[in-house]
Amino acid sequence: MSEGTIHLALFNAIDPAAEAIGKLRELGIQDKDMSIISSVPYSDRMLGRPMSWTFVPKIAIGGFIVGLVISLLLNFGTPLLYPIRVGGMPYLPIPPTLVLTFEISMLGLMFATFLGVIWESAFPSFGPKEYHSEISNGRIAVVFSCPAEIHNQVHDLLVAMGAEWVHRTEATEL
Amino acid sequence: MTAKAMPFPKGEFQEEEDPQEHLLFDPRPREEMNQMVMESMRSTTGPFWVVVGILTLLVLVCLVGAWVYMALTGMGVAGVRRPTYWGMFIANFVFWIGISHAGTFVSAILRVFKADFRRPFTRAAELMTAFGLVVAGMYPLIHLGRVWVAYWIIPYPNSRWLWPNLRSPLTWDMIAIFTYLLSSTLYLYLPLIPDVAMARDHSNGWRYRLYRLMALGWRGTEAEWHRLRTAIQIFAFAIIPVMFSVHTIVSWDFAVTKTPGWHSTIFGPFFVVGAIYSGVSAVVMILFLIRTTLANMKYFVREEHFDALGKLILVFSFTWTYFYFSEYILAWYGGDLSDQYVWDALTKGPYAWLWYTMLICNIAIPWLTLWNKRIRRSPAMMFAIGFIVNLGMYIERYLIVPGMISRNRFPFTWDEYTPRIELVISVGSLSLFLLLYVLASRLIPLIPVWEVHEGQTAHTLRRIGKTVVPTKSEIE
Repeated sequence: MSEGTIHLALFNAIDPAAEAIGKLRELGIQDKDMSIISSVPYSDRMLGRPMSWTFVPKIAIGGFIVGLVISLLLNFGTPLLYPIRVGGMPYLPIPPTLVLTFEISMLGLMFATFLGVIWESAFPSFGPKEYHSEISNGRIAVVFSCPAEIHNQVHDLLVAMGAEWVHRTEATEL
Repeated sequence: MTAKAMPFPKGEFQEEEDPQEHLLFDPRPREEMNQMVMESMRSTTGPFWVVVGILTLLVLVCLVGAWVYMALTGMGVAGVRRPTYWGMFIANFVFWIGISHAGTFVSAILRVFKADFRRPFTRAAELMTAFGLVVAGMYPLIHLGRVWVAYWIIPYPNSRWLWPNLRSPLTWDMIAIFTYLLSSTLYLYLPLIPDVAMARDHSNGWRYRLYRLMALGWRGTEAEWHRLRTAIQIFAFAIIPVMFSVHTIVSWDFAVTKTPGWHSTIFGPFFVVGAIYSGVSAVVMILFLIRTTLANMKYFVREEHFDALGKLILVFSFTWTYFYFSEYILAWYGGDLSDQYVWDALTKGPYAWLWYTMLICNIAIPWLTLWNKRIRRSPAMMFAIGFIVNLGMYIERYLIVPGMISRNRFPFTWDEYTPRIELVISVGSLSLFLLLYVLASRLIPLIPVWEVHEGQTAHTLRRIGKTVVPTKSEIE
């Protein structure tokens, strides 16, 4: 969010919250200066917000590739480094190799997916943030920053749209 | 012939289901649902601590004590001996791996297919997966005997030039179980984050500190939700083939050998189906216990959920029977002498009483009862059926492991297996599973409140003509 006072408006339902976002935009507040916090996932289209992007799928694919490489190294590298020859047995057989290749690659994929969420969200992060405990009770918070000169206008507008509580907010410890 | 308009018989409308019997059509304010879940975690009565005490004692005596005794005394205190070197420990291992399939099946597969009845009990099932795997993972160690050299299984270069064969099914087992345990735990934890954040907002003292730590600073911003849902989708799709692979690999522990009764191409899918069959039945049992022992759970866990799971159990009973019969008839028709000895031992030999009990538990009782909607909607009846199915599935594993191995290709070695300290350790491991579950029920929200809330937001009743029709919006 850009410089300015940060406000937090609490709504009881999604419809007025989505409406309020449109109105805030009309007042010149940009999307990058707004954020929606809710206890249920709402899609960007429901909220009328620009599409969110995440690198989690790409990170997951990266994890899969790392897992694949590790499994190939284990399966093919170690018999070459530590040879134990058994008569009549193929030295580098493919079919039994597929089992561990699959398992370790999938492990890499899922572990990377998890780490991707943690890394992108900058978790764990217990530092001060804009939040209100009523959000987990189903309220929807519109957090935005706006210049001081339109503060009163924004406040009146949001209250008129059904915001239960609009306030300048200070970041609190989570 | 002309069609004649006839009035509906009296009572026709009375039999129509009230949509509000369904959780997703009976919404309550989020605040109220949060309070209900928090209350269920906070209320610990005297009987609860008595149960915890008894389970702890059983774990200490029957699991820890008996295991230490066996390790100090030697494997002679167990019933395993020639030719049955794989006894009850391995049967237990297969059983608990099977139980662990329930979480993935209920949570991941039903999530992928958008089956909304899953919403209130996904976490209860996922917890079963995690704890089932913990118990299952102990058994190969118990079975080793000299557990202090367990690290020899781990593939690493060492001074003795012992490099475990990575292509051995036992190494597959170890890595597959590790993959499944880690991925199931992460899959349990990810959707838990918003609920522990809710618990953080409604707690103080040590609970606040615990939930704050577990919530990792979750607020519920659009970006956080987007990432979380993307990750859950990836997990839901990725964990399904892992689940299938784990039990297939467990089955290959047996099937890759030339032992009569084990060397079968059908063992992989047969084990997977059996695992889901016993796992879903175990979910029913757990749901009954949650509903009857935890406060406010009758709102979340309803008859409709038992009904849906009852249908699943019936379908898996059919599928299991199909696989079992395929396995049996080919061995019977093939006429191979070694196979015939095995099946003779099972069907008319020393294990016949177990074999028939298994058929009654796994086929007769589910087929005779679960077609009936009233039975499926009765939590107590479903608990009883779930117990019977799990008893039958345990017997199936027992017959596969010590039962079949006792009839090998060398008749002069044949001997009957009698479990000894295995029985005590089995009681201890069951107690450990229950203890972990009982403690978890007071520490983490067993109901995924945000998923229920989301489902209730998506479901509405819509009037079409003269009737009200349940309608679902695609909001996921």
